[in-house]
Amino acid sequence: MREAADMVDVNPFVPFPATLSRVVDLTPDVKLFTLELDNPEDGFDYKPGQFGFVSAYGAGEAPFGLTSVAYRKEGLQFAIRSVGTVTYALHQLEPGAKVGVRGPFGNFFPMDDYRGRRIIIIGGGIGFAPLRPVITTVLDNRKDYAEVVIINGARTPQDLCFATEFDDWAKAPNTKVELTVDAGDDNWKGRTALIPDVVADLKPSPENAIAVICGPPIMIRFTLQGLKKLGFGDDQIVTTLEGKMKCGLGKCFRCNVGEKYVCRDGPVFTFEQISGFIEQF
Amino acid sequence: MTKTLSKNELESWLGNILKERTLVAPRCVDDLTLFLPVASVDEIAFDCGNTDLSPKDWFFPRTEALFTAEHKDADIEITPAVIEQETVIFGIRPCDAKGIAILDGPYLADPADSLWAQHRAKTTMIGLSCSSPAPQCFCTSMGGAPFDSSSVDILLTEVNDGYIVDAVTEKGEKLLQGVELKESDVSGSVPSCDTQVPAEGITEAVKRAFDDPYWGRLADRCLHCNICAYVCPTCYCFDIRDRTEGGKIERLRTWESCQSKGFTKIAGGHDPRVDKGSRLRQRFCHKLLYFPEQFGPLGCVGCGRCVVSCPVNIDIREIISDVQELGAKVGEGSS
Repeated sequence: MREAADMVDVNPFVPFPATLSRVVDLTPDVKLFTLELDNPEDGFDYKPGQFGFVSAYGAGEAPFGLTSVAYRKEGLQFAIRSVGTVTYALHQLEPGAKVGVRGPFGNFFPMDDYRGRRIIIIGGGIGFAPLRPVITTVLDNRKDYAEVVIINGARTPQDLCFATEFDDWAKAPNTKVELTVDAGDDNWKGRTALIPDVVADLKPSPENAIAVICGPPIMIRFTLQGLKKLGFGDDQIVTTLEGKMKCGLGKCFRCNVGEKYVCRDGPVFTFEQISGFIEQF
Repeated sequence: MTKTLSKNELESWLGNILKERTLVAPRCVDDLTLFLPVASVDEIAFDCGNTDLSPKDWFFPRTEALFTAEHKDADIEITPAVIEQETVIFGIRPCDAKGIAILDGPYLADPADSLWAQHRAKTTMIGLSCSSPAPQCFCTSMGGAPFDSSSVDILLTEVNDGYIVDAVTEKGEKLLQGVELKESDVSGSVPSCDTQVPAEGITEAVKRAFDDPYWGRLADRCLHCNICAYVCPTCYCFDIRDRTEGGKIERLRTWESCQSKGFTKIAGGHDPRVDKGSRLRQRFCHKLLYFPEQFGPLGCVGCGRCVVSCPVNIDIREIISDVQELGAKVGEGSS
């Protein structure tokens, strides 16, 4: 082990300086924030599924899944729901505001391994945010992947994230978009059902397929069970988990599920790995 | 042959140290003994036994700024925290020193926690062997020993008319430069811890007993007061939040405990450890299962502080025994 004296230089808690370049309302309580690094040489090369901490100085920082893809060079995007101290403070900011960003952290969806396969993308609520880079990657390289089924669910039609992109997704070849809500309204023409029920109804075939899931833990749990019933193997189901997190560095020991850190060993886990967890996530 | 120092010589050496550096030593304050800076050698409680709080505060302060941020015109200027002060801790017990040393595991793992690394680099530890371990102590069961010198820079062992001096590290030798030590053939008598705890194989046992209702029953009486985490030399979980004062923003790291309600509650409201049983299990699984799996040693050094401090007598020594029995039972059942 190196000596402590050799490790004093870089403070891993200091964020990269960044500027908010764009803020777009996605739903009544979710905004899409685009950040540009003030010093591009800081570098922030990330892959679908990874996350970063965004700082609203004075309020604090919190972890969010990156919802953009690095290769498009459209800035670092985070879809953030106003729900606590930091997210509320972020929601008050306007383009031009100075923020901080740390990361990227965690593992990622191995998109290269999914080439040639059918991909079932299942997201609930704000949990859809970290799956958007999977969709973007697949649609930008459409011929590399087989059939794509996107299932996006939310509490109400207004709460569906990325609504302006649904048409583009649906127009892509061999790509199906299924929208569902817990409670519809008069204009709602999509499904009114819980995500696990939609999965049971659609019965996606496990043949040559990968299912990628993110959402509230209860939704993840029931969707996993549903996919198992349809014959999906433990290595064909992939999910990304959320955990209370303070550092992202494997130190604060708040995000552990048993002996695994969500921040460092995850957030992306296969059902095979989850089945081996000693503790419930 | 060993090297020795009389009590008077020790005091004048410590007196010299505190002219140049911060000297932290056990001090009696009200009815507590704590590691605090001393202004003169007279303030040191030489015969205090183990302190009420561990000295981890001097490496992992209960509140510490990671950096400060200030609005400068349109920008935000960040100043990372720097530890300038050279500190000497006198009177640290082998168990507490080991507690600090094993936290190098998580804190110096890549990417290293630079503040922890700075505290470690700037601090020299003068250890004091335990000549009379307290009834709650069980360091020998946890791989330590009252005379263990492995985690200190210098180890002093009290003998009749002074101290045996063992310079363990280069840092320790440097601090002893210019101090005249006498050659002697005295040796310290090795005391033993009366309490033996069956810690061998506990990692496997706790894994087998993970789903036992034992944890819920045990937690019924837990008040989640967090004192176990605060007195513990190896509890290192933390919280991070911002404090703003007069335009200056500090990003603070503070002690936090896995026994706190909401410790694992995420933004949507889900909390994987909503019941006290799963939180209490987390404490013991972290120390006895997760920590050794990740870093090698058990995450408990046997200082016994949580045993004394817990208002409802939740006793890690009993838990280790109980879990060994439970684990054995589950082991039989599954074979």
